[in-house]
Amino acid sequence: MLKKIFMLILLGASVGVYAQSKFIAKNAYTSFYSSTPMEDILGESNEVVTILDSDKGEIIFQALMTTFHFKRALMEDHFNENYMESTKFPKAKFKGTIEGFNKDMLKAPVANIKITGQLNVHGVEKTITVPGTLGLEDGKLVATSKFKVSPEEYGIVIPSLVRDKIGKEMEVTVKVNYIPFGQ
Amino acid sequence: MDQQPNTQQLELTMKKSYYFIGLLLLFFSGNVYSQDLDALLNAETKPTINFATATFKSSRIINGHSIEQMKKKQLDFRISHRFGAINSGAYELFGLDHSVIHFSLEYGVKDWLMIGAGRGSFNKTFDSFAKFRILRQSTGAKEMPISLSYFTSVELNSMKFDTTPIKLSPTTYAPRVNYFSSRFTFVHQILIARKFNDKLSVQLTPTFIHRNLTKTELDKNDIFALGAGARYKLSKRLSVNAEYFYTVNPNAKFMETRYYNSASVGIDIETGGHVFQIMLTNSQGMREGTFIPQTTDNWLDKGIHLGFNISRVFAL
Repeated sequence: MLKKIFMLILLGASVGVYAQSKFIAKNAYTSFYSSTPMEDILGESNEVVTILDSDKGEIIFQALMTTFHFKRALMEDHFNENYMESTKFPKAKFKGTIEGFNKDMLKAPVANIKITGQLNVHGVEKTITVPGTLGLEDGKLVATSKFKVSPEEYGIVIPSLVRDKIGKEMEVTVKVNYIPFGQ
Repeated sequence: MDQQPNTQQLELTMKKSYYFIGLLLLFFSGNVYSQDLDALLNAETKPTINFATATFKSSRIINGHSIEQMKKKQLDFRISHRFGAINSGAYELFGLDHSVIHFSLEYGVKDWLMIGAGRGSFNKTFDSFAKFRILRQSTGAKEMPISLSYFTSVELNSMKFDTTPIKLSPTTYAPRVNYFSSRFTFVHQILIARKFNDKLSVQLTPTFIHRNLTKTELDKNDIFALGAGARYKLSKRLSVNAEYFYTVNPNAKFMETRYYNSASVGIDIETGGHVFQIMLTNSQGMREGTFIPQTTDNWLDKGIHLGFNISRVFAL
């Protein structure tokens, strides 16, 4: 009898730990924006998948390049064909650690955080540190971040002909509503 | 006693198995718990359908339509020129003194439906068309080896009607009766394309053309043709294209005017919102009803026309 109870506790614990330690969002918003006097470029995806592991303070993002959409369809073609080479490099990925993370941050109101990790875009991996926010908003766990990346650093060649239309730096915006994993 | 295990032994076995299951659960829960975040992420990313994009750079391979079409709410303004034939000699500056023009506005109503209307100076033709996307080449969650579209167009020849009376005998004439419907030509095409890799795309274009009125009795009202086109990318913004239309014409050898199959080679240069197509072709017409059945120049006689298409896309 005792053994059975022990087993039930174990079973409960395993499921419980599993569900509470990770948070997921499959429809996270990510955009990049560049503005020049010639042209504004805005690419947006609402299909970025991200997981937050509250045991290690780790956070991971994955975006399929083909989920980014633009106002001008031709931009989308050029983005995939000429710049990101989406058939060769279909995904962008970020895996980082939240500085000074503790589990209470997930129950507190939104506060500023810093994340350091590896950003992999166009097959090139770089270590970056980005600012962001994390915490509860209307009872929901939300995270945001805004940072700049330079396409050239990730081996994305912009020809001189269109150099004036594409900014030297892209402003990346991320907005996530996390839910507990498995729900 | 040897044949049946006693209760003590049975209890021991059960205890062992409980421990074993317990350990297994512990191991399993621990395993899930420490599951690699990357693997978890990949498991949660739903498989997507990867559609082949930019099979061709433009909605035309050279003269004929490609599988590409304007996406929803995108407007394409196209201007095309075909100069005179190179064999017209130095007096005509090898054809550059003469040019045939065509311009059109083409719009994506839906991602799968594109319509357009235009005007060409060749035979003073007004035209309108619709292109429907039926299949899209894709990999991933859904595999489709080819892209397939249906293209249809109507062309209206607005040249002045011939009003000379019809000669019935050396002395009797009958007035010529012209019908407005005689001005129309109808085109139907199935576009079948495959992007083999980032560089090479190939298209086959079975074509059916119906002309309400033909120039002579020997010209067929119904014409079958098979088009083949390909592009090869030299760099990200430059590609070389070729196109050929084989036209079935059983009366060819009896006809006064010789018609040739349309053959063209060209390059596509893409610069942001523009695509420039520069080509050499033996056809001067720029619409299916003209360049497929009415090409009168021949590459072998240097009946070659220099030409270009300019495409400018606007997002509405």
